[in-house]
Amino acid sequence: MSQLEELKAAIRGHLDSLDCVIGWEQGYDPLHATPLFIRNESDLERLSISPLAVHNPATYATGFAGKKIGMVVRGCHSRSIIELLNEKLIERENVVLFGLCCDGVVSQRKIRTALPADPGFVEAVEIGDDALHITLAGEKTTIKLQDVLADKCRICAYPDPLLADVLIGNKHDSRPEETLACQEAFEAKPNAEKFTFWQDTMSRCIRCYACRNVCPMCVCQDYCIAASRDPLWMSQENSPAENFMFQMIHVSHLTGRCTECGECERACPVDIPLMLLRRYMNKQVQEVFGHQAGTSLDKTPPLLTFQVEEARIKERDW
Amino acid sequence: MPAQDERELRIVGFLCNWCSYGGADTAGVARFTQPTDLRIIRVPCSGRIDPLFVVRALLNGADGVLVSGCHPRDCHYAEGNFYARRRLEMLKRFLPITGIDERRFEYTWVSASEGQRWQHVVTEFTRRIHELGPAQSFNPATQEEWFNLALNEASKGEACACHGS
Amino acid sequence: MERFITEANLQQFAATLAGKKHVLAPVASGGTTCFRRLVPGMRLDFSRMAVISPKDATFPRNETLLLVQRYVEESGKKLELKEQLPEGECIVIGSRPCGARGKLIFDPVYETEAIKDPYYLRRRDNTLFITLSCDRPESTCFCHSVGSNPADGTGSDVLLTAVEGGFFARAITPKGEELLADALFEEAGTRAEEAAAKQTKARELMGQAHDFSSAAAKLLERFDDMGFWQAQSNKCISCGACTYMCPTCYCFNITDDEAGLVSRRLRSWDNCMSHTFTLEGSGHNPRGTKAHRLKNRVGHKFSYYPDLHASQIACCGCGRCIKQCPAGVDIRQVVMAAQEYVDER
Repeated sequence: MSQLEELKAAIRGHLDSLDCVIGWEQGYDPLHATPLFIRNESDLERLSISPLAVHNPATYATGFAGKKIGMVVRGCHSRSIIELLNEKLIERENVVLFGLCCDGVVSQRKIRTALPADPGFVEAVEIGDDALHITLAGEKTTIKLQDVLADKCRICAYPDPLLADVLIGNKHDSRPEETLACQEAFEAKPNAEKFTFWQDTMSRCIRCYACRNVCPMCVCQDYCIAASRDPLWMSQENSPAENFMFQMIHVSHLTGRCTECGECERACPVDIPLMLLRRYMNKQVQEVFGHQAGTSLDKTPPLLTFQVEEARIKERDW
Repeated sequence: MPAQDERELRIVGFLCNWCSYGGADTAGVARFTQPTDLRIIRVPCSGRIDPLFVVRALLNGADGVLVSGCHPRDCHYAEGNFYARRRLEMLKRFLPITGIDERRFEYTWVSASEGQRWQHVVTEFTRRIHELGPAQSFNPATQEEWFNLALNEASKGEACACHGS
Repeated sequence: MERFITEANLQQFAATLAGKKHVLAPVASGGTTCFRRLVPGMRLDFSRMAVISPKDATFPRNETLLLVQRYVEESGKKLELKEQLPEGECIVIGSRPCGARGKLIFDPVYETEAIKDPYYLRRRDNTLFITLSCDRPESTCFCHSVGSNPADGTGSDVLLTAVEGGFFARAITPKGEELLADALFEEAGTRAEEAAAKQTKARELMGQAHDFSSAAAKLLERFDDMGFWQAQSNKCISCGACTYMCPTCYCFNITDDEAGLVSRRLRSWDNCMSHTFTLEGSGHNPRGTKAHRLKNRVGHKFSYYPDLHASQIACCGCGRCIKQCPAGVDIRQVVMAAQEYVDER
């Protein structure tokens, strides 16, 4: 039985007791997937778990408060669920997790760069074991999956779900040791260069808040301080400084909570590399608190607690 | 004192009501000489200080931000500064990725009786900010600056080295 | 008037204009292509449709409506208001027909007997569009289903069509003719036929248009069916990507930025998908859920607006909202679901 069939069988067994099961199906063209909310057998038929299925189902979890739902989760998605459980934002008995041992998902941005023409012209996609065969404007192009894997997958330490009621696929024994050259190169730049990079990049931001709304950990949503007029945290002015202020809000509220699912960067319509900020902050959290969000149950986010003597915070001498 | 022979810079100080504000007061009553660049905002507790206050001040054009509260274990509300310590430390560690010089922000502890220490902290911090000079505005100040910035970034073209290599 | 221009000359033409006027053009930067203010030295990118629409030219994401200065004097308080009407000409180079045509949706709203929006009207009247016709539709394109086509010159002043070695240029308005008088444009020769053939081919590639004519009535029928809208909005994350990238979305918000004795009245894009769009002072929100909000967005474009304004669908079919939606909500499918709805009860 293929993994997809195995998964469908597992979901079928739970459908009656659940409001819905969140998975993926083909979107507006064969290259793009879209979240699928499975409620019956005909929905289930459309389920797809290819590497094109990128969306984090945990994003929708808190929207179903009080209802019992199922979710198909990859490793990183399970981390988001664990973090939501740890923060008591969802209840364990209200979620059934269908775990997928994940070999990584694609980055549409990288596919776009790898293709000879705009992916808007895609006609057909065939998904092989390690390659995508894409028919584009009448011509067939083959792209190796490895070349278009999302950055988060290239350095993923948790490809297998850390929490699941049903586990599909084979667990991975080794973890990639790759580091991200782009991250390291950016961090090593002098301040002035980083500053001008954000100035220009933030001038592109249209403040659509896709990065916020797609974030599984951004649970305030309708009551975000960015929308508050009193206190006034931000002007409606669409200037680099105001746009950057919002990113500072997002980073600040994610400190020790970000599960690095990469949804913010994926959702950004103007391709702002937000994961530069996330990965950097997560590294700091790891260094100071030895904490990685969503990797184990019953852990309190580090900023919601304290120690009288902090082992790794040095008091400054004056 | 730097403030007397140079242009004053804009330094914002968030001070807790119970210790550091008292410390600054003690320094004043004792007539310790201090630079005058710092504008103090009194808050109930360092735990009240959202790190975003600091970010907002920096993005609004502050040249430096100083936070000071009660010494750990001495918080008027028992635990406020323990939380503050974690938050402020993370903020300090985060600033480098933004390109904002992390030396423009500092947090420390000064008790109400430490007038001399307050004098030292505020003098040292002001000296540091004067060494760094006025902060660059995040919004390009002139049309020409805008053009140069945009042109420079656009010259890098479609490729973006910052995601995906 | 019909002319021809090589790609190199078009780049130069744009750069020269940019030295004198406010030019908006698609520029590739940071891994994406957006309309931005062209600075001499930047290259125009025609390889893909810009992510954000050229709406910024006639309806900027942000504009200062007025400046306020307060004076507190011994004789009393004084208030000085300064209106900030937009000045100068703007030229958009490299928009697509959908983006140029999309701005026409604004007119029945911002220019009526009773209300004339001086800011919008000034911008509209001082903006020229040099539009590039599309030679191949994307999978998200549906301009042909909303009364347009990939070579539609409506709303443009000049229409360019890519031909061998450069672009065939046709002036649509007298102002467009003035632009084409520039020495960088050459005789068109026989290129008119080549361009026409390209345009026909592009239209053929789009295939059969979908008939949205029943949508207005069918969407109204579903108005009270919240179950339908909940199902349609399941995957929506309630962000503003669709509205902000839409060439036809014209809603705005007005806020005052105050600092001491000066303040500034700002107008900025607003977004009907956000909770705060309809949030009332009492705390009550008539569109409290994303289902209510998606219903409004789709209903407005395909039903309420056409009902008010001569059956004109308030959508230009550019497909940006589909292509850039982080969750893959497809407005075509939502409308079709309402059109094809069969009551199973």
